[in-house]
Order: sequence, then structure tokens, then C-alpha cells
Amino acid sequence: MLTQVTVLTRRAVLDYLSDPRQVVTGLVQPVIWLFLLTSLFSKFGRPPGFPPGVSYFDYVLPAVLVNNALQASQQTGTGLIEELRNGIVPRLRSLPVLPSSLLTARSIAGLLRTAVQSLIMIALAQLTHGNLSRGGLAGLTVSLGLTLLIGWSLGWVFLAVSAWIRRTDTVQNLSFMMLFILTFASSAYVPVRDLPTVLRVVATGNPLTYAINATRTILLHTPGGTGAIGPAILISLVIGAAGTFAAVLLFRRPLEMTRR
Amino acid sequence: MRVRDGKGPLTGYGGRSAEIMIEADQISKDFGTVRALKSVSIAVPKGTVLALLGHNGSGKTTLVNILTTALPPSSGQARIAGFNVSKQPREVRKRIGLTGQFASVDGQLTGRSNLILIARLLGADRRAARDRADTLLELFGLQDVAPRRAATYSGGLRRRLDLAMSLVGHPEVIFLDEPTAGLDPASRIELWKLVQSLVAEGTTVLLTTQILDEADRLADSIAVLSAGVVVASGTPAELKARAGQRTVTVTLTTIEQTSAAMVVLAHAGLEPELDRKRNAIVMPIRATEKVASVVTLLDRAGIEVHELTFGHPSLDDVYLAIAAQPTGQAAHVNGGSAVPPGVRRQGGAHERASQPGGPQPAGRLQRRRPGADMARQLGAHPGNGAHPAGGA
Repeated sequence: MLTQVTVLTRRAVLDYLSDPRQVVTGLVQPVIWLFLLTSLFSKFGRPPGFPPGVSYFDYVLPAVLVNNALQASQQTGTGLIEELRNGIVPRLRSLPVLPSSLLTARSIAGLLRTAVQSLIMIALAQLTHGNLSRGGLAGLTVSLGLTLLIGWSLGWVFLAVSAWIRRTDTVQNLSFMMLFILTFASSAYVPVRDLPTVLRVVATGNPLTYAINATRTILLHTPGGTGAIGPAILISLVIGAAGTFAAVLLFRRPLEMTRR
Repeated sequence: MRVRDGKGPLTGYGGRSAEIMIEADQISKDFGTVRALKSVSIAVPKGTVLALLGHNGSGKTTLVNILTTALPPSSGQARIAGFNVSKQPREVRKRIGLTGQFASVDGQLTGRSNLILIARLLGADRRAARDRADTLLELFGLQDVAPRRAATYSGGLRRRLDLAMSLVGHPEVIFLDEPTAGLDPASRIELWKLVQSLVAEGTTVLLTTQILDEADRLADSIAVLSAGVVVASGTPAELKARAGQRTVTVTLTTIEQTSAAMVVLAHAGLEPELDRKRNAIVMPIRATEKVASVVTLLDRAGIEVHELTFGHPSLDDVYLAIAAQPTGQAAHVNGGSAVPPGVRRQGGAHERASQPGGPQPAGRLQRRRPGADMARQLGAHPGNGAHPAGGA
């Protein structure tokens, strides 16, 4: 089982690396997130009630990290549909290989990709803005860990959605909707208390809000910020567990439901 | 393990004590309101080939999917090498190889990596996986293309790689779901040879096909599937015998000689029918000895025979006969086997293409009805069709 997951993960990573276009867009995407979004939202000036000395860039960086992880997790999901089109899947099903091995491999490959992207973003942010983390290296590490955890959990949700719908265009439309709601109805770009009422309600129930809050408090080294870590981890784990369960169950359905 | 009795669907093997490697017992499968399989039972003894013959949508692939654990049956039991496909899928998967209708290869990986991947997934360490991959690459003549991505392969190469991949784990049972669909004649014959060598080594094969000639060449027994029901089964010879009587076709050089021959043959009590297009005479033959008398009669009359064929009804005929009467009540005719040694083609100026490789099917196939060109429509290779009797 472990060997199978390793072998399949290696395959998924190599598969990703074998397409230069995919690699390039994968590397450019976080940069765009970082600079486009931060420079765009910086235009609105410092929102009221910001901690002193915190720039908008500093405020948004954790959100951009988490959003990139979200986007990457969505790609993990749609990647599964491409995989279902690949002739290899029927063969894997005729081998003594657990279907969950394939899903796990994809999710780990997605995690690795998110990690690389996140590191690039952190490095670029450090280069352009300097003195990034008030929480020091430890704070940086913890926030990176939280980013990867929420990305990994959501990756399973998107895997489940893809294993259920099995159509690239439908899944992409649905994912796009989910991405928009999760991204903007959250504490990502505007503090929740400054959001319009409806968005505020959604943002309060949005798991991303908690992940972003936790990442942010650690990076900004807000007093009492460590209290946000627990809920963020718990929420991520619950989402991840539910996503895993659903994905494995839905992926088991016969492949005939995929066939063109 | 249960061995079927003489009433089993494979009459050729019923009652034999050979180990049954593939067994389906009253398998039914419903997709919503569509009943794809209705109480299908088959049994394939070790080291033999069963061909599942049927049109698109007859349920062939569904049955293969059930037997390879990809689909659960709605009812009924299936066992592979004694292991229940529903209850012991892992044990089943350890023992099977599957080559589906669509080549099941990873286009992004090279041919060699594809094989290594499967070997690694089956638990081989890196070194053993590489060795196994190289062995199979050599066996299948894929060394030259091994470093290329499989996506760049031609259809024939993909299929070959696909089959090689299904053999990585030394499976005892192999499922070939329309393995030669879309292959050119040379690749098809190549693949047939591979299958035959596997069977010679004791592998059990279930083959689905729409190509009658393929079933005839490879299969020890055939089950004809139509709308999810096994409508006929038996050895190729048995099925052919069921389709009707055997015929002799005599082709002559001139129209005058043809007319003369018609008179001679009719006079001798045969029932010659003239095929003006081919300048040939076709007549049913009820006993094998009569073939010799046709030759003698014509020889005495001084008529030069250009070509003479004597054939079983082809599987095309079987197919059509069964399609026409689902109960399969075709006349049963004595199935004599080979052409008597005395009967040879005389004065053959035009050589017909002989079967390119592979063992000759039992008895020459002859197409009796022009409309029965099903195999050709379905893409059978050019060698399929009438053949000169005892070709030089």
C-alpha cells in the first residue's frame, strides 16, 4: 500500500513536471496572486482598525497564500478527471491496487505543488517587501503548515467533487463558484467586521476565514493570535476527513459513468 | 471448486475434470431499467480460450467488467481461479490480466515506464521491475520504442504495450476485450500469435470479439452473446455444423465448360447451382466422399477445373443463422473434417492469397452467401474468405 502510494505519487509528480506549460503556469500563478491582488487591493488604502505599522500587503499576504492553496486544491480535483480519461485507470482497477491509493497519490502530489508555490510566494514577498514575518522563522513555518493543511483538506473536497461529477467543464464551473465565494466572502481582503451583512454571515461560516485568520495572526504576530491556530487545524481536519470519505466512496463507482 | 457437468454451456468441455479458471454462474446485470446481461453462465477450463462473440451492445464488455471486478453483478456468482469476484476482488486481481477495448496505457509515460509502473504496483522492487519490463519489451518487440512516450505510439504499438502490461504479473487468466479492434491485418496476426503462445504456456484466455474469423482461429470454445443472453455455445466446429450443410464450389475456365459441367453434375443427381458472376457452380454436399465424385465426374467429361473449394459454413453463417432463429435450430450436418487427399486444385493459374500465418482453422471456411460478408464489414483481415481447397 505504502509502496503503491509512493509509486503513484512519483508518477503524478513526474506527469506534472513532464508538461512545461503546466509547470510554468503553476509557477506564474502564485506570483500573479501575490502582486496583482495585493497591488489592486492596496488602492483602497488601509482599512480602519488595522494594527499599527501593518501595511495592506502584510495584511493580505497570508490570505494570498491560503487562496493559492485553495486554487491548487481545485486543480488537484480537476486533475483527477483528466486522470479518469487516461487509459491507465481501468488498468489500475484491474490490479490489486486500492482506488484510494490513486487519490492519496494525487492529493500528496497536489500538496507538494502547493508547498513549492507557497515557498516561491514567501521568497518573493520577502525580496520585495522585506521583514515579512513578525513571528520570525517559527511563525513563518507554522503559517506555511496551516496553509498546506487547509489546501490539502480542500484538495480532498475537490477530489470528491471531481469523483462525483467526472466532467471537466462542469467541475470547473462549480469550482470557480466555490473559489469565488470561499475567497471573497472571507476575511481574506477585508476584515470580517467591515464586510456587508450577508457576506459577513457567510464569512463567519467560511472555513477559509479561520485558516486565514490563524495564518495572519501568526505572521503579523498579533497578541493572543495563537488561540486561532486550534480552531483552524480542527476545521481543516474535519473538512479533510469528510472530503476523503466522500472522495473514496464516490471514486469507487464504476468507470462506465465517466466514459465519453 | 465446482466443475460444470455435461450440461454446461461449453459442451466441448462439459464433464471434463480440467480446472475451471473462469466461471460465471447465472450472472445478470441491470443498468437502471436496461438489462445488460441475463443469466449468463460460462466456464473456461485452464489453458483454453473462450471467445465471446457478439455485436456492439450485446453485453460482452459488461461481462468482462464483472469478471475483472470492475463492476458488481446484479445477481449471480463469478469466480476466477476459484476466487469469488465480489467477495475476494483482491485475490482475483492478483491473478488476472486485462486488455480492454481502449488501450489501457499511460500516454504520458514511456513504454518502459508504463511496464515498470505496473511491476512496481504489483510489489516488485525497482530492479526486478526493470528486469520484468525489459523482458516484456523484448518479447513484444518494443525495445526500439521503449524510450518514447506511449502517446506517440501507433494503434498497433499501443495495443502491444497494453497486452505486455497485462502480462507483467504473470497472470493465470487473461481477458482480452476486442483486442484487435482497429488493428491492421499484420498487427492483428501478430497479436493472435502472442495469444496462442500464451495459451500454449497454460494461460486461460477470455476473448471478446466481433470478428468471427478471430474467434474461429483462437478459441477452443465460443459463446455467442446477443442482447445479454448466451444464444449459442460450443466449439467452433460444433457451431459451424449447426449453421447448415457444407458445400463444394467449382470454378471453371470457360462459360462453355461451365454449362457442360452443369449438365454432368445435374445428371449425376447433385444439385448444382450456377453462380454466373464468378463462373462457378455451387452445390451442397451431404457426404464427404461426394467431393471426390465431383472431381471424377468432371474429369471423365474432360472438363478442366480451375478451382475447387470445399468448406464448412463459415462462422458468418453461424452468426446469421443464430440471429435469424434465436433458438438456433439449424440443421445438424455431419462435420467431416479435411478435404480428401485426392482432391486438389487442378490447373490453378491464379493463386489466391493464402492465410498469412497462424494455424489454419479446422476445415476451410467458405462463404456461401454473398450477403454474409459480416466479417469483412467488421474489419476482418483480407485473408478471411473462401480459400482454395488444399492450396499448394
